[in-house]
Amino acid sequence: MDPFLISVLSNIGLFSFLALSAWILLIGGEISFGQQAYFAIGAYASGIASALWVWPFAVAVLWGTVLGAGVGALVAWPAARLSGVHYAIATLAFAELTRASLNVFRYQRDVEGYLTGPDGANGFRDIRWVYEAGIEPGPNLTIIALSLAGVIALIGLAARLNVMAQLRMVGEDPILAAMQGVRVLRWKIGAGAAAGGLAGLGGGLYAHLATYIEPAQFSVMTGVHAVAYGLIGGLGTALGPILGVLIDIGLLESLRALAAYRMIVFGGLVAIILILRPRGILDETLVAKVRSWVRR
Amino acid sequence: MLEISDIKTSYGKIAALKGVSLEIHDGGLTCLLGPNGAGKTTLIWTIAGILKAQAGSMKIDGEEILGLKPHQIVSKGIVTVPENRLVFPDMSVRDNLVAGGFSRRKEKGGVEGDLEDVLTRFPRLRERSEQLAGTLSGGEQQMLAVGRALMARPKILLMDEPSTGLAPIIVEEIFEIIGCLRDEGRTIFLVEQNAHMALKYADQFYLLEQGRVTFSGEPGAVDHDEVIQRAYLGARKAS
Amino acid sequence: MLDLAQNTLDGIAAGAAYALLAIGFTLIFGVMRRLNIAFGPSIMVGVFLGAWVHAQWSAGLIGAAAATFAGVLIASVYVERLSFAAIRGDAALASMASSFALWMQLEQGVALAFPGRTTAFPTLPQLPDVRFAGLFLGGDDLLVFAVAGAVLLLLHRLIYHSHFGLEMRALADSPEAAAVSQVNTRRVAFLTFCLAALVGAVAGMLIAATDGQITPKFGLWATMKGLIAMMIGGLGSLRGALLGGLALGIIEAQAQWYLGAAAREIVVYGFLFLCLIALPGGMAGVRETGAERKL
Repeated sequence: MDPFLISVLSNIGLFSFLALSAWILLIGGEISFGQQAYFAIGAYASGIASALWVWPFAVAVLWGTVLGAGVGALVAWPAARLSGVHYAIATLAFAELTRASLNVFRYQRDVEGYLTGPDGANGFRDIRWVYEAGIEPGPNLTIIALSLAGVIALIGLAARLNVMAQLRMVGEDPILAAMQGVRVLRWKIGAGAAAGGLAGLGGGLYAHLATYIEPAQFSVMTGVHAVAYGLIGGLGTALGPILGVLIDIGLLESLRALAAYRMIVFGGLVAIILILRPRGILDETLVAKVRSWVRR
Repeated sequence: MLEISDIKTSYGKIAALKGVSLEIHDGGLTCLLGPNGAGKTTLIWTIAGILKAQAGSMKIDGEEILGLKPHQIVSKGIVTVPENRLVFPDMSVRDNLVAGGFSRRKEKGGVEGDLEDVLTRFPRLRERSEQLAGTLSGGEQQMLAVGRALMARPKILLMDEPSTGLAPIIVEEIFEIIGCLRDEGRTIFLVEQNAHMALKYADQFYLLEQGRVTFSGEPGAVDHDEVIQRAYLGARKAS
Repeated sequence: MLDLAQNTLDGIAAGAAYALLAIGFTLIFGVMRRLNIAFGPSIMVGVFLGAWVHAQWSAGLIGAAAATFAGVLIASVYVERLSFAAIRGDAALASMASSFALWMQLEQGVALAFPGRTTAFPTLPQLPDVRFAGLFLGGDDLLVFAVAGAVLLLLHRLIYHSHFGLEMRALADSPEAAAVSQVNTRRVAFLTFCLAALVGAVAGMLIAATDGQITPKFGLWATMKGLIAMMIGGLGSLRGALLGGLALGIIEAQAQWYLGAAAREIVVYGFLFLCLIALPGGMAGVRETGAERKL
């Protein structure tokens, strides 16, 4: 495969984790502008694990995922009482707090005669596990794609077990959901943990693909894009946010003619879709229509 | 039987319920009337566990249940059809009904059968079962809300102002449904401002004014006009 | 002790500008119950236009000011039409997300139209500095403070003693009730947006003129400062915006002095996060409305 295509597809896969992370919270009724924090936590944690502690790649990424989920739950617990704008700004504050903290986070060690580790605002170089193991970009893309497929399968399973339905109930009307016997606080914390874990997983994979990460990469704009993917792709199914990523990275970033105007085109697209289809392209109405058509 | 005694609930410093006591007997329609702002919805939300009461007691068949979480109240068989927020608008009609059965998901079977029963009871919901609930008319949404509550197999059904915002002819239809449910021997606690309709169906009623029960009785034994007037307008000092 | 007092004074001076930004956010949120995140970038459009007019025709402060006002107003109207007027009903989150999308547009638009990292902005006339009891206050800081005070007084008069103010308050209280009371809600919402734009233009101009230059980061900076100040103070309250702005200025100045620049960011965002969790009503103690009250 063409190296450019591989890198575009890898990026699409990685940002799909972040988009799905924001999407889960959108389903749960909250806008989070701070999912980049868990992406960063996953990236740093798994990078440290594989480069400094010399853990195997899979274990390192798993550690990043677990840490992302844990911190996600910890933040969701007090934030669950907040609604709407307060929740959005609280997540934004947490993400900026994380980024500012990473700017002063130094943890370097000598590994085989080579100084490595996070160096504050200078970033974290040489997360080389994947390259030292001789994994080429192609197989690396396969790893990303398989992880993403696994996540989507898990979400599909959750939908079968009525997990997604209960989360939707909490998102649409927490009081009415509570009146149906749904434990709202638990679901909000659970959604925070799942979203944090997903972003952490994406971050871990991202760190090992990029080999270099720095705090500035996890800025507000990254988080806003993650939310926008779900909003334009649609809230009806997990494919919505991935469609959003495809439109932005697959179409706008990769077409060189459009690249200089990417933000203008993408921003305009989001604004127009929010007017015409407030719940995105693949919204619940469309999904319900498709489902009844399939049942017939 | 649900016994409520001396319940006090407030929003911040504002006392909404100043000691409410009433009894909901099994197998009958108990009605709570009262003007706007009397505290009717506050009482429903307190019973459902959404709002915390500062004082009082609430017993179902002798067991104290005041202060339980909303999901525990549901598992005691007390199921609410709230006012205004009737359905999950972006979920299909079928999913809304299934949602009502979540509290019983640990029981084996039954939920599918109950879904069939509800769809048979409300054929219009069957026709629209794949539509999003938000696209239904006001009366259909009320039906869906009642159907969803039945999915939970309630011991006591709490209904908050089912006639709000509906055309008179639809209101009649909704009350016929409530009458049917009562005739089946279900226990219903109906909160209504439309005292005229409610008194036609009630077995027993209470009048709530400014956070206190000021009057109670059986519809047959009282002057309807006075009750209706007070339910709409509140108490008059002169009379 | 003297350091502490001097830092507080510096903080208040910076906080006055933050308060103006927060007031712009608050006006829009207070009346429409929606957040316009593109407020900072809209101001950025104005100050860049002002700087460009100044560079092109050496227009000086007056010309730059006029261009700044025009730029902020045009950008704000664009945002209002697309993100607020066009999205009807109970869609606070959709409007917030949409204004974020327009932020991307404005930011890239500015970068394409005015290339170059920093641009000069005409400075304020030289004002005498004030010294007393070992403390120092710059003349331009004093001016910013005076202007912020004047804007606040004018706004207070407008909101509580004019017919338009009555309409604004009616719309803020209940859109339905306002509409049936013959308030043209769309017009009031639009004019409130323009009013916020004017306040934002004043803030942007003062900040740019004090610094003497502007950078493409101005939009993000202005939105974050205004937003943080508003959230600390209390969402939708003018008094809260003032308190929040001053509090943010003082916290920043103290943290910068005692802990350094990197730690300042951590302190500010940490404080904001804790504020939101522990005190959702902000310092002004804004009670959440029924619509916002959830479990």
